[in-house]
Amino acid sequence: MRLSVVAAISHGRVHRRLGLGPRSRLDLLRNLVTALVRHERIEAPWARADEMRGYAERLIEYAKLGDTNERAMRMASFWLTEKDLIHKLFKVLAPRFQPHPGSYTRLLQIPNRDGLDRAKMAVIELKGNPFPPLIHPRRDTEKTLLNQLLKGYREDVQQATAL
Amino acid sequence: ALVVVSCPLLRLHGLLQRCWGRLERCFLPGVSGGQSPPWGPALAVQAPAFLPQPVNDASESSEAPSLLDSVLWMAAPKKRRTIEVNRCRRRNPNKLIKVKRNIDVCPECGNLKQKHVLCGYCYTKVKAETRLIRMEIHKKEGGPFNAPTVETVILYDGEKPTEKDQGKRIIERARKRPSWFVQN
Repeated sequence: MRLSVVAAISHGRVHRRLGLGPRSRLDLLRNLVTALVRHERIEAPWARADEMRGYAERLIEYAKLGDTNERAMRMASFWLTEKDLIHKLFKVLAPRFQPHPGSYTRLLQIPNRDGLDRAKMAVIELKGNPFPPLIHPRRDTEKTLLNQLLKGYREDVQQATAL
Repeated sequence: ALVVVSCPLLRLHGLLQRCWGRLERCFLPGVSGGQSPPWGPALAVQAPAFLPQPVNDASESSEAPSLLDSVLWMAAPKKRRTIEVNRCRRRNPNKLIKVKRNIDVCPECGNLKQKHVLCGYCYTKVKAETRLIRMEIHKKEGGPFNAPTVETVILYDGEKPTEKDQGKRIIERARKRPSWFVQN
């Protein structure tokens, strides 16, 4: 059987391998999570930011369980290497995201890095941060065809109900 | 060997025979008598009981046949590739660079951007302003590891905190509010 060839091909494998090994990958992601909680908006290679997003959101869900929860406190003390950020997590971020059911982060791609490697970069930020917004969601103007047709339909319905 | 010499050399012959007899006795006593020769082995070296025979069979089977045979076995082009064939290969669509059709104009600044990527100009603008805000935050915090336990709000020239911003830390920026940073 060709067991050795199967080990060399990686078709369909979804898990990323970052850094020097599994422990190094966790350390990398832990540093990124600490930076995100401190600065609320960071720029990183897209693969690392994408990987880190899941861990950051789960950490916030743990924080929502409350300060007194033993498991939440252990998670926070593992994932945040700077201990003043544990206070920030439980006192600032947990109340901020209490009404939201999920998706506390926003991941957006930015132009490739300027250095020699031209790496695919992304900016990841916590929603509700005090900084200027990165995207302005635009509403379509009233002058588009679809909006004019919808406006006409609404007026017809109103006339029909008025009569 | 017995040499027959002429009469005037009889004394020389006798001398030669005596010298030869002395030499024989000195250097070849084993030949003349039954004694063991005084010479022992000049040099004694430790060596295995038998010398290993050079094994030719395995090496001959593992290596490729000799140089002349291998030259006949390797792949080589038969004819020169013509320029028409070369052009077909070099200009085949899978070798050309793909045309990007996902480039748009940013509605804010008018620069070009890819559809799924943020506009470079707008992002640089926001990044510069964020950097200045972070410098103000750093001045206010005064040192490392002083993350506050309250939210933060940024106010520009001539702005007052509203009732929504009651319990928050205020960061002042000494400039007019930019048009793209809408106050919530």
